[in-house]
Amino acid sequence: MSDTINITLKVWRQKGPGDKGHFETIPVKDVVTHMSFLEMLDTVNEQLALEGKDAIAFDNDCREGICGMCGCLVNGIAHGPMKAMTLCQLHMRKFSNGDTIAVEPWRARAFKVVKDLAVDRSALDKIIQAGGYISANTGGAPDANGLPIPMEIAEKAMDAAACIGCGACVAACPNASAMLFTSAKVSQLALLPQGRPEAAKRAINMMRTHDACGFGNCSNERECEAVCPKEIKITNIARLNREYIKASIGSDVM
Amino acid sequence: MQLESKIPAGPLTQKWTKYRGDQKLVNPANKRKYTLICVGTGLAGSAASASLAELGYNVKTFCIQDSPRRAHSIAAQGGINAAKNYPNDGDSIWRLFYDTIKGGDFRAREGNVYRLAEVSADIIDQGVAQGIPFARDYGGLLANRSFGGAQVSRTFYARGQTGQQLLLGAYSSLSRQIATGKVKMYPRREMMDLVIVNGKARGIIVRNLITGEYESHAGDAVLLCTGGYGNVFYLSTNAESCNVGAAVKCWRKGALMANPCFTQIHPTCIPNSGDFQAKLTLMSESLRNDGRVWVPKKKGDTRRPNDIPESERWYYLEEKYPSFGNLVPRDVASRNAKYVCDAGHGVGPTGYAVYLDFSQAIQRDGKDVVQRKYGNLFDMYLNIVDDNPYETPMMIYPASHYAMGGLWVDYELQTTIPGLFALGECNFSDHGANRLGASALMQGLADGYFVIPYTIAPYLASIYGEAGSVTEDHPAFKETTKQVDALFKKLTSINGTRTPDSIHRELGKVMVDEVGMSRNEAGLKKAIDKIRELREEFWKNLRVPGSLNDYNKNVEKAHRVADYLEFAETLAIDALERAESCGCHLREESQSEEGEALRKDDKYCYVAAWEYKGFNQKPELHKEPLVFENVQLTQRSYK
Amino acid sequence: MSNWLTNAFSTSIGKKLLMAFTGLCFIGFLAVHLIGNLTIYGGKELFLSYVEHLHALGALVTVAEFGLVFLALVHIVMGLTLFLQNLKARPVRYEVKKAAGGRTIGSSTMPYTGILILLFIIFHLVKFRFVDKTPVDVNDFTILAATFSQIGWVLFYIVAVIIVAIHVSHGLWSGFQTLGLSHSKYMPFIMALSVVFAIIVGIGFGFIPIYASIIA
Repeated sequence: MSDTINITLKVWRQKGPGDKGHFETIPVKDVVTHMSFLEMLDTVNEQLALEGKDAIAFDNDCREGICGMCGCLVNGIAHGPMKAMTLCQLHMRKFSNGDTIAVEPWRARAFKVVKDLAVDRSALDKIIQAGGYISANTGGAPDANGLPIPMEIAEKAMDAAACIGCGACVAACPNASAMLFTSAKVSQLALLPQGRPEAAKRAINMMRTHDACGFGNCSNERECEAVCPKEIKITNIARLNREYIKASIGSDVM
Repeated sequence: MQLESKIPAGPLTQKWTKYRGDQKLVNPANKRKYTLICVGTGLAGSAASASLAELGYNVKTFCIQDSPRRAHSIAAQGGINAAKNYPNDGDSIWRLFYDTIKGGDFRAREGNVYRLAEVSADIIDQGVAQGIPFARDYGGLLANRSFGGAQVSRTFYARGQTGQQLLLGAYSSLSRQIATGKVKMYPRREMMDLVIVNGKARGIIVRNLITGEYESHAGDAVLLCTGGYGNVFYLSTNAESCNVGAAVKCWRKGALMANPCFTQIHPTCIPNSGDFQAKLTLMSESLRNDGRVWVPKKKGDTRRPNDIPESERWYYLEEKYPSFGNLVPRDVASRNAKYVCDAGHGVGPTGYAVYLDFSQAIQRDGKDVVQRKYGNLFDMYLNIVDDNPYETPMMIYPASHYAMGGLWVDYELQTTIPGLFALGECNFSDHGANRLGASALMQGLADGYFVIPYTIAPYLASIYGEAGSVTEDHPAFKETTKQVDALFKKLTSINGTRTPDSIHRELGKVMVDEVGMSRNEAGLKKAIDKIRELREEFWKNLRVPGSLNDYNKNVEKAHRVADYLEFAETLAIDALERAESCGCHLREESQSEEGEALRKDDKYCYVAAWEYKGFNQKPELHKEPLVFENVQLTQRSYK
Repeated sequence: MSNWLTNAFSTSIGKKLLMAFTGLCFIGFLAVHLIGNLTIYGGKELFLSYVEHLHALGALVTVAEFGLVFLALVHIVMGLTLFLQNLKARPVRYEVKKAAGGRTIGSSTMPYTGILILLFIIFHLVKFRFVDKTPVDVNDFTILAATFSQIGWVLFYIVAVIIVAIHVSHGLWSGFQTLGLSHSKYMPFIMALSVVFAIIVGIGFGFIPIYASIIA
């Protein structure tokens, strides 16, 4: 059951944001095909440790595809070749013996490389802080069933809320735009009646923050949708656009 | 040491109301004079940080990941319990309380558990107000399901991502407070030590995981919301960065570690497939509703499962427990899987797995029905194991999943160190010896949103004159930083041949084999010896390459493993001391005539709280007797 | 003064709204232009009568022309701004990058086809608009015939029209998406319409030089 393959890893090494960085070629022998991609990197790191070398830095945490912490470009595609999957869920059996695998960090002006494959995605947090919430202080909430919400609406909101904030959309976007990320949160809250009171302010402020963080502009290339591990749709971007138009032209919010 | 639980007097149903009515308050204008330190941004940490900031306190919040949104609460799938009784099926606060305390095998405090049940409904209200898209019925009202064998439908859910949605809800409230400046957020920081000044928790030292710098942060109280210690078993369903470090550091400084031997083992995880395995993935327990568990009757049978004829399959759960069959509780299912594998019937590459067979369900209901119910789980299994569960039986094996034990806290969630509070999975308080399904989310949020904002006030009121009096310039910070620095220098100067991971993996093996689901005195003693040997090996033969002033996974792992090696021994000692079968665990010496778990209420109806006595010293046991005035202690039976 | 209007159009979406609106206007213009030009297939007389009718509108034509120039300026300035901002948004490019399946030829070449179209329009205007039409033997048909009797111009126009078609194949649905006009019910139709319209533009305009070179 446990087949092994030999691969050549071309992995990006970069000491920090100031460093230029380069590809390091590491031959990796006897990779068990049942390994996940990150477990393969673990074994490489274990080997590097025994040789007294610096481990490859990469972010990861839950390893079940929900925390959104992992992610790099594998052979030029964010989170690797499989659809609707985070990097931690990619398994080595999807590669063949003798393959050369290029691994690169997310690249965007808004995402500085921290080290090797790890990047700083705090800009995504900043976008949420600009309005990706409903101002409901703890304690004052009315009964949960006081506000019926049609099932289709709740489902659509859930589709958008499934975003894990991994940043693959930014990484894959030819313009390094974070519109899919931003629109997912705007959509979720705009669809729900609880989110309507702040909808206008939210759309405008989150968009301005998006721009201020240095993300690019959406040109509807749909690469984000193609790599999104949670299959967030660009219909959310259209909804954000609508919310933005309503907010800037039809509301009192400047 | 006298353990004072501070449970308010009076009838059970009035305790929390009375407490809230009687407690001291902090004047709104004075709240801004306090700075609270919150470590961790899971459900408990995010909820507490946001709620306390809303009240006007200044909060400094720390998390180990790159963003507060990634804490491991996010991985909870099933749902969250609340005594809303929306389905009109007989649920009530009392029933949720009773189910929780009974589920915990009567090893939790009545007062705490009742409060948890009381505030459970508020959590759902709060979540909906935050915009959490809970599942709904066609009429637009909230949907409920029955979970983990409960007889009422009280579980609210958001697809299979309830934990994610609840956490993102709390994260959104936290983000709002970060934007107002009331919360200062420090990501990629790991707590390295607690700073105590004049006997009170006054701050923490954290390590910046990118630069390796030690940073001092002073405050008026410290809230530990750092989750559980499931990774002591190395392979668990916990995330990579889940660790016991922060709790252990507080334990060394005088907080007590309560009931560490109470850990939950989840029966339906995808089994280990080799030494490279980093973690185990949990699949919903609902699989057991339709799957049949079996192993080959012949030991060491290596045939493919479909080649093994019906007569040579051993449906051990159905045979042993005719009335419950495959739906026996988590601990019984887990334990029996271990027994048959230990006896040589196990399957899969490591021999530690059992089959979960859906062929009968597929024949009976059709593939479509099975796909509708379990499609996403089957896909997940197919991706990880590369085997199609529609055609060949799934393989499953139990894995460590949740820690009921944790830092000892009183009714106010305060540890034995004044000013140090512990919330969520990190404390021991509400689940007793076993946790009900869909109750972890409930407890984390209850502590953060609805308990700590009230229970921290009396302490803060009591130190009013000292608010803000201790700053980072206090010599205690320099002193503690020096100690932390010394520890890291030591870790990196051993220059041996073993990586932290390799020792951790070995520790995990010992813990799973001897301190897991089924324990006995001889095994536990053996385990304690082995843990000591491993600790010695660690401090003699560790190798940590790379720089201390850098993003260095080896350094991070090294000190976490050091903490596990100390904590694991206490866990084993606690298990040894508790010579009863209780909650999740079978103590082999304590069984009924039919071979079932036997609890011993006359001897062990207490909380075991362990005091740290120094490196390589046996910790000291303090007992907090558990008093039950409202419920009758009963034994479980699943025959 | 922080004006709500400048605020609204200064963000990423704001600029794109201008792009989308002006772009869709040009798509409308293309449609009208194409319908008019199709009169060429009816022969010289029909074509010239179309031209005559058009010029009979007098001041309206001038207004329309200034309108088009204004739309073009907005489209060009916004397009270039967005393009430069997008380049800046990823200062370090990937060493290895593959498309994941979202991009099309149209979407991935928008700025470049856009610039080429601008150059083409300049040539086109110089050739057909800003030309001395006062001599008696010069009219729009003779200019057309003279131009397309040269194989070089025929090829130039065919290539230019294909570029326009590629630009439009993304531009049409993209404009709707940016204006928020997206719905699961009719978005597939709009996406299909983009391709169909691009083909119509390509064939409709593309055959004019060929036909003109034949009848010239």
